[in-house]
Amino acid sequence: MRISWKWLNEFCKIPLSPEEAAERLTLTGCEVESIERPCSALKGLIVGRIEKLRVHPERADLFVAELDLGGPRAQCVTAARNLKEGDFVPYGAPGSAIADGTVLGKREFDSVTSVGMMLSAEEIGLPWIAEEFGILRLPRALVPGEDLVKALGLDDCILEISITPNRGDLLSLMGLARECHGVIPGAVLERKELRPPQVGNQGTVAWDGLTLEDPGCPLYGLSFAPSVKIEPSPLETRIRLAFSGVRSINNIVDATNAVMLITGQPLHAFDLDRLPAREITVRGASEGERFRTLDGKEHVLADGDLLITSGGVPVALAGIMGGENSEITPETKSVAFESAFFEPLRVSRTARRLGMGTEASYRFSRGVDPSRVLPTLSCLAEFLWKETSQRVEEKVRVVSTRTWDNRRITLTRRKMHRILLWDDLDKASELLQRLDLREISGTAEERLFEIPTSRADLSIEEDLIEEVGRLKGYESVPSRIPPLLHGTGRVGEEVEAHRRIRVAAMSRGYLEIVTYSFINPRWVEWLRIPETDPRSRGFRLTNPISQDQSLMRTTLLPGLLQALQTNLRSGWKDPIRLFEVGRVFLPGIEGEEHREILRMAGISWNGKERRLLHETCLKDDVLSLKADVLALCGSRGRTPGFSSGLEPFGHAGQTAQVTLEGKPCGYLTSIKPGILRELEIPAPVFAFELDIEPLLPEKGFRFGQVVRYPAVYRDISLIAPVGKPVASIEEDIRALGGDLLRGLVLFDLYQGTGIPDGTRSLAYSLAYGDPSRTLRDEEVDAIHDTLRRELAEKGYVLR
Amino acid sequence: MGTMQGKLESIRESMMKELDSVDSSESLQVLRVRYLGKKGLLTQMLRSLGNLPPEERPAAGQSLNELRREFEAALEGRQRLISIAEDEAREASDLVDVTLPPRGRGWGGFHPVVQTMNEIIDIFVGMGFSVAYGPEIEDDFHNFEALNIPPHHPARDMQDTFYLDNGRLLRTHTSPVEVRAMLKWGAPLRIIVPGKVYRRDSDQTHSPMFHQLEGLLIDEDVSLADLKGCLNTFVGAIFGRPLDSRFRASYFPFTEPSLEMDVECFACSGRNPSCRICKGTGWLEILGCGMTHPNVLRYGGIDPDRYNGFAWGMGPDRVAMLKYGLTDLRVLFEGHGSFLTGGGY
Repeated sequence: MRISWKWLNEFCKIPLSPEEAAERLTLTGCEVESIERPCSALKGLIVGRIEKLRVHPERADLFVAELDLGGPRAQCVTAARNLKEGDFVPYGAPGSAIADGTVLGKREFDSVTSVGMMLSAEEIGLPWIAEEFGILRLPRALVPGEDLVKALGLDDCILEISITPNRGDLLSLMGLARECHGVIPGAVLERKELRPPQVGNQGTVAWDGLTLEDPGCPLYGLSFAPSVKIEPSPLETRIRLAFSGVRSINNIVDATNAVMLITGQPLHAFDLDRLPAREITVRGASEGERFRTLDGKEHVLADGDLLITSGGVPVALAGIMGGENSEITPETKSVAFESAFFEPLRVSRTARRLGMGTEASYRFSRGVDPSRVLPTLSCLAEFLWKETSQRVEEKVRVVSTRTWDNRRITLTRRKMHRILLWDDLDKASELLQRLDLREISGTAEERLFEIPTSRADLSIEEDLIEEVGRLKGYESVPSRIPPLLHGTGRVGEEVEAHRRIRVAAMSRGYLEIVTYSFINPRWVEWLRIPETDPRSRGFRLTNPISQDQSLMRTTLLPGLLQALQTNLRSGWKDPIRLFEVGRVFLPGIEGEEHREILRMAGISWNGKERRLLHETCLKDDVLSLKADVLALCGSRGRTPGFSSGLEPFGHAGQTAQVTLEGKPCGYLTSIKPGILRELEIPAPVFAFELDIEPLLPEKGFRFGQVVRYPAVYRDISLIAPVGKPVASIEEDIRALGGDLLRGLVLFDLYQGTGIPDGTRSLAYSLAYGDPSRTLRDEEVDAIHDTLRRELAEKGYVLR
Repeated sequence: MGTMQGKLESIRESMMKELDSVDSSESLQVLRVRYLGKKGLLTQMLRSLGNLPPEERPAAGQSLNELRREFEAALEGRQRLISIAEDEAREASDLVDVTLPPRGRGWGGFHPVVQTMNEIIDIFVGMGFSVAYGPEIEDDFHNFEALNIPPHHPARDMQDTFYLDNGRLLRTHTSPVEVRAMLKWGAPLRIIVPGKVYRRDSDQTHSPMFHQLEGLLIDEDVSLADLKGCLNTFVGAIFGRPLDSRFRASYFPFTEPSLEMDVECFACSGRNPSCRICKGTGWLEILGCGMTHPNVLRYGGIDPDRYNGFAWGMGPDRVAMLKYGLTDLRVLFEGHGSFLTGGGY
């Protein structure tokens, strides 16, 4: 909210500079975001009166004006066509400065000298106060020669204040004045009490009635101005509105806006003659009903929206915006002014749904002060009469279905002390009373306060304690460590596992990344995930920022591949490994709504057209990533199993299912070359993705027995079909090798000339050992021979 | 006897002379074989002792053995010198330019937010808080209602929410875990909740996904002083030295009173009006906090007459940006290698 410092000071004299006041307001909860001085560049400008105005002797498109500057005179040339003799205008003599900092001087216009300049609204820094194109015409009440900045009150500054949603009462000069009085010692409230209007039906306007059909509007007042003249507002009003960030429209609309800024109560002006009937009914909208607001937009309404109707026809969307059908026009002759209370949640819901944040809806959503609804109409009548000589009838039509009582809240010494560690109830009461919270009774232990209806945010004792706290200043509260914090807390398995895994990944050359949890839904198709796969059934955002971020990820792979794409697009050529830990979101099973699963995933890309030293040994493949997976699981004391697997996006010949304690927990793969082609990523890319949950429980690592007697080594070389996994061959060797076989290492793998097609030769070094003695050669030979024989019986060809 | 002595003396002389000229392990070996080998000179002389008259044998044998021991010792000494020289020569020729690029995988790199989050967790765990988690897909009750934010409340405007096609929403803060934790563990309670949160907002300083770390402490007789002490301790720990702080009044529906904590700008301490970090204000907004609203305690099944507490929420992304001097929040979630390796311009 933009607040004119000068205008605010008319309601509360503040004994501080704007900067000091801003600091104090910020500390007590009204954050002042900036202080602007829109006319600070102006220098030396004064008021001038046009004595004589004639057409330039040589150029018909220019005028020459003789100015009275309150004694001295000056001659100015202008192209503006909106002036006449006797007009008052802003004038800058040579040496003075205008809003953009330009310093004025003398200028020749075809033999006529222009000494200084007459100025437009834009040149004095207020483009939006102009009512016409050309030089700004000033009120005739000014004195020629008078300092322009003083005369127009331009030496003002504007506080941009951010008001929290609970403090609707601060969305007005009067509210903010009361707040300043509360938080700034020495501030003096200029009590401009609002006068309640006279209520009655007599008047010159024939009026049939007001009906409230919907509890969303419990109070509605209407006053009439039977004979008005629509014209621009006086310059002073326009300047004030401009400083408050409100556009000037005409005297009637400006008055409703200015009064709203003063009291916080939004008003609406109807063209009385354009109302379909001399009657107003407030009712709920019916689903699908259409209504065109005065900004020309048509809205489809919903059940629960609140409408002002006349003769059955909607004329305003209650608390948000009036209708095009009854708005004030330059031809308007008579006006009806509405001041009402609308339920905050009703206005808020409609305004949010229709995306209509207006000054009115903003205030109604935060709750207006019901006690000001009717007095604001008196304030409006006064304002219109004083500023633009427009008369509003004294009698106001009112209908209400509810009354408001002042709430009462008790402040106890005990609770205040519990929170603030301070218990001076007398001092507290003094502070609260500066905010108009009246103490009505009390003891040494507790005080009862009456809360004005404007402070709807105060409802429980804690609210009062907050008021005391912020007025007193939180800097006065000491600082201590809570007694509950003894001993250390628990990091927990999830953090612990995540930490070990991420450090293992980083040690193995992975860059840790964090990507968005929402992805482009087309990843499902890009990764060829079939409909039968739960990973194709992610949740969609109903209101995404963009389609690119509209599906909750069901796998971490898209984020990693997208990061790789991002790197490639920006010219990355080196090998890169990326790693992420995060949740994926899958449809629920067995009655759960959804599942969030913590995963870890990594990808590796070998780089592009880049000649590197040691290149061959740096290239990753599925087996080097297998080592990574083993290391990552190893960091949690686990050894995963690998078996041939299938993934929709995985190379059919290079995909492993990863298991932990026998249960599938993820995959290790090389991404299908076809997919990479479509993603414009040069193949190959290797990837793994694993659930972290099986790695969570802290599992003590089982250390091995110390070997004190050296093992005896024997080699074995055998031929097996290519399709037989090495794991199953090793399983056979271990099973047949007996207890003394303590280790086996594959040291050669061969396929090609010399052995039959479809087979491969494997050479192992076997270690035999006994924990309690050194084995004798003959013993080992016997075992080894038996092993060879049994393997041959099993169908292996031994070499 | 005399001849024997003379003979030995001349052998000795020639052996030592030859030894002096030996300059490699190979020639040393040749020399050893020539004198000490099976057919070596000294070996043969020892064998031929039997040809001497018996009374000369002991003395001759003794002299021969002495000469043999002397020669062996000399050989050994020579071998040591030669080995040293040979090792030196070999090392000199096996030179590796250690400024060559390394082979194998190097260190990867950490993500600033994950790193910072872990540092923050450690600080609070060290103080006595335990880590708690909750779902990122939430329902309206936990994300809003139980936190004292009824439907259509203007406070909902503070947090533009993403909704899902199953009627749920993405949590806009980590606060829903407060209620879940209260319902699960009751009072007293001391937890921190790190995690991802989502708001419909995207520009240089807003990302639709970001991180939060929530804290909650509930006990009998908790005061604002406890809150201040706790958070001041944290600030000192995360920025490496105690920093001035100030607490401003603010508003959150789930705390009463509500405050915002600003800390002294660690870069300029308010002394530089054109400081880029604090924009010349001297203060950095660091977190929102307050005393847990009685309604929230009630939703969490905790009796607000007996217990009260405080809570705070902070943005680890912002802390990370401050710590590492980053300016664009969105870059954190794009995975640029140039950024994460520090290799960018």
